[in-house]
Amino acid sequence: MALLLRTVARQGLCSSRLQLAVLYRHAVPMGTTAKEEMDKFWNKNTRLNRPVSPHISIYQWSVPMMLSISHRGTGVALSSGISAFALAALVLPESYPHYLDLIHSMSFGPQFLAFSKFALAFPVAFHTFNGIRHLLWDLGKGFKIPEVYRSGYIVIALTVLTSIGLAAM
Amino acid sequence: MAALVHPGDSSALGLMVRIMAALIRISSVCCRGVSPLLFRSSSLIRPLAVQKKDRDCPYLISAKIHATPSSHAGSGSKAASLHWTGERILSIALLGLAPVAYYYPGPAVDYSLAAALTLHGHWGLGQVLTDYVHGDFKIKMANAGLFLLSTVTFAGLCYFNYHDVGICKAVALLWSK
Repeated sequence: MALLLRTVARQGLCSSRLQLAVLYRHAVPMGTTAKEEMDKFWNKNTRLNRPVSPHISIYQWSVPMMLSISHRGTGVALSSGISAFALAALVLPESYPHYLDLIHSMSFGPQFLAFSKFALAFPVAFHTFNGIRHLLWDLGKGFKIPEVYRSGYIVIALTVLTSIGLAAM
Repeated sequence: MAALVHPGDSSALGLMVRIMAALIRISSVCCRGVSPLLFRSSSLIRPLAVQKKDRDCPYLISAKIHATPSSHAGSGSKAASLHWTGERILSIALLGLAPVAYYYPGPAVDYSLAAALTLHGHWGLGQVLTDYVHGDFKIKMANAGLFLLSTVTFAGLCYFNYHDVGICKAVALLWSK
């Protein structure tokens, strides 16, 4: 009986010359925006005090993941540094050369100075090179997984070399 | 081999055939153009009519598909898209400023750097806030704080450029040690 009905149905439906594209014709507009949906999610779940499932504490770290968060980390750090510098410029009474001489007068060893320059140059270099990597992704290039890893390693290598080069200047 | 049944049949078979007939009618409407269907407020749920693996007729599974309202398409705001593009253009500009700052230090580059660095940082931190801050009030507060920070940063850098040695010279002096 069921077989008979299925046969009838199959013939009936096939006679309408359906194509795969018809599936989209049954799409129905949603009444809410993506932002509203996301807000609803967060409101409901924080209201119910639900714990967040473990994610970064359990997922195996990969090189691209670490590069990504480092890009964000260096960005925030550099931005904070610039803001701190700007704030200091507004607040501190003396001029920049004055404070620079103050640091010069504190006799730090040459290795310490070289290391400080390296420490300053490193985040700038990393954020710059990884930024270029991001821009290439924005152009649609280099999304295959081996390419992602390869470009990542190139960024790390360039960062280290550039930082050493800048620290030596 | 089809058994003869009439729409008036009250039997189970009659019911099944009426359902089938309705499905066939719906499917025939499908092929004739379905713009009226797009604006229905309720979602369409269609029962499984044919086995998925049927090759002759790739007809499909029940689908409750949601799509962005077509009223949004095109007539919607392009602000987010333009913001994204602006971010990328600014990044490229900042990238270009670096060698210029090295080879041609001076007030023009100093002020350009101040503006580009501040704006790049402002937009970058804005993305960080968007990712991690939730809740209408918290978002508003965080963005207000960020705006204040960026304003002070730009003011401070401009002050430094005007009253002090300037960004390019500052870096040069710092490195000269």
